[in-house]
Amino acid sequence: MTALNLTAVTVTARGRALLDGVSLSLAPGEFLALIGPNGAGKTTLIRAALGMVKPASGKVHLAGDDPRALSGRERAARAAWLPQTGAVIEAVSALELVEAARFRFNESRATSREAAQAALARVRAGALAARPVTQLSGGEQQRVALAAMIAQQAPLLMLDEPANHLDPAQQIATYRLIGELWREGRAVLCVTHDLNLLRHAGDCARMRVAGLADGRVAFDTTMAAAALPDRVAELFGVRVSARDGVILAEDISGVGP
Amino acid sequence: MKARVAMLCVLSAAVIVASPWAGGLPDGELGHWVLVELRIPRVLMAVVVGGVLSLVGACFQTIFANPLAAPSTVGTTAGATLGALMALVLGPALGLGGYAAGVSLPLTALAAFAGALVVSLPIAAVAASGRARVNDVLLAGVAVSLAAGALATGLQYTADQAALQTAVLWSLGHLPQVGYRDLLMLLPFAVPVCAFLLLQTRALNALLGGEQRAFSQGVDVPRVRALTLGMGALGVAACVAVCGPIAFVGLVVPHIVRLALGPNRRVMLPMSLVTGAGFLAACDLGGRLILPGRELPVGVITAALGAPTLVWLIVRGSRA
Repeated sequence: MTALNLTAVTVTARGRALLDGVSLSLAPGEFLALIGPNGAGKTTLIRAALGMVKPASGKVHLAGDDPRALSGRERAARAAWLPQTGAVIEAVSALELVEAARFRFNESRATSREAAQAALARVRAGALAARPVTQLSGGEQQRVALAAMIAQQAPLLMLDEPANHLDPAQQIATYRLIGELWREGRAVLCVTHDLNLLRHAGDCARMRVAGLADGRVAFDTTMAAAALPDRVAELFGVRVSARDGVILAEDISGVGP
Repeated sequence: MKARVAMLCVLSAAVIVASPWAGGLPDGELGHWVLVELRIPRVLMAVVVGGVLSLVGACFQTIFANPLAAPSTVGTTAGATLGALMALVLGPALGLGGYAAGVSLPLTALAAFAGALVVSLPIAAVAASGRARVNDVLLAGVAVSLAAGALATGLQYTADQAALQTAVLWSLGHLPQVGYRDLLMLLPFAVPVCAFLLLQTRALNALLGGEQRAFSQGVDVPRVRALTLGMGALGVAACVAVCGPIAFVGLVVPHIVRLALGPNRRVMLPMSLVTGAGFLAACDLGGRLILPGRELPVGVITAALGAPTLVWLIVRGSRA
């Protein structure tokens, strides 16, 4: 059974196709990087995967079932999501925020707390437990957010630009951590603009890369594929260069909106 | 933390227990009657109304993702007031029995609930659209509150003398003067509303991390939002139907509690209930003692305390 499977999924909003016949699948434990220009439909794909939007046509299966037919708790047992905009407006502590991610479990407060502490320790953020999330650096906030995903105990992590607005050191640390969580057996769907950063997750040879443009899958290949630089260049409409046989496409980093 | 929780509880309890005796009592039989038939039911009413309004305020802050959201700032109170006024003024004219006739609290509450929902739902829709900035929701609340206020004034203009007097006194926000009847009619609304809202604690805590994240953590966000809004409106409507619009309690109390105890809803919701009960009892006591011989309606006191607090919060928020 796949962790996530989309078959010819079309999502429309106000007469415009945000996703246009997208077919994509992700096996348990697999790493899929989803790249594409702004407005390509990357976030919409995640929202469709979680059943937040109803496809006009096509089928979505989250671990075998239509996510829209699942209860909230069943859905949360199959996939966790770190949205790009998840601003915490109140000064809850890191521990409280991670504890809240245990919503799907019917358990005592003590159990929630233990699981949250373990998750924070796992991302080396145990010392942040009592700090208000609003006062943490961007990198620390992402670590706490990843701890919340660990606490949720879902086998699929969906990350939307997890290193956005972070300084380089924090970007690298975030991707390292994502790589670790992947190698522990979780499937990862990671939306990003920046393929270079993905290298810090490690084990690039096993990563898949799919390009999304105008709501369509432009390519679906591996990080190791010889043709990847050219496909990336085409996708973003820029010139790229590859070095040392690695996917390095220097010119695309920094190509944003 | 535990010490602060205990302190707020003790403070609330002390105010509640002491206030029936505060200000002295006449001697003898009359004093006993005043205590049992006037003071105690009135304090109990303050406890229930203050608790409900504060708990609803704490929940509204979460579902609107806005620290300034409260029944009185997002239009719920105004809508309930308009609905209840229609029942008060038009009820007797239509032969349904007005509040003055002493039979129609359920009718008034129903009308207040309808008014609260009609006004709250569009504002909730604005908040839920995700495109609204923090203060857009409050501006929408102000707009509908003004509209509802104008309609309410128009309604009072058309009322006859007796209905007008009832309506004016009522719309200042006051705790009923005599007996336990209103209290007994309010409880069947207040208890289920509070129980329901307290059961939402975990979902509301998850919502603090953002609506989308809460959704992926298993919270049925639209449902939680709609039910919390609906039950909150019901609680506010029942309070408004009995006591009129008592403004700002639902705004001020959750803020005091958050400042003292932090934003974790597991603490903030029950403690808003407790602190709100003590707060309104204290305000009512203040209204009774400030002008000897003349009682200020409690709504005047809460507004006098609440309006500056709101301004302070806005100024502080815009600086942050």
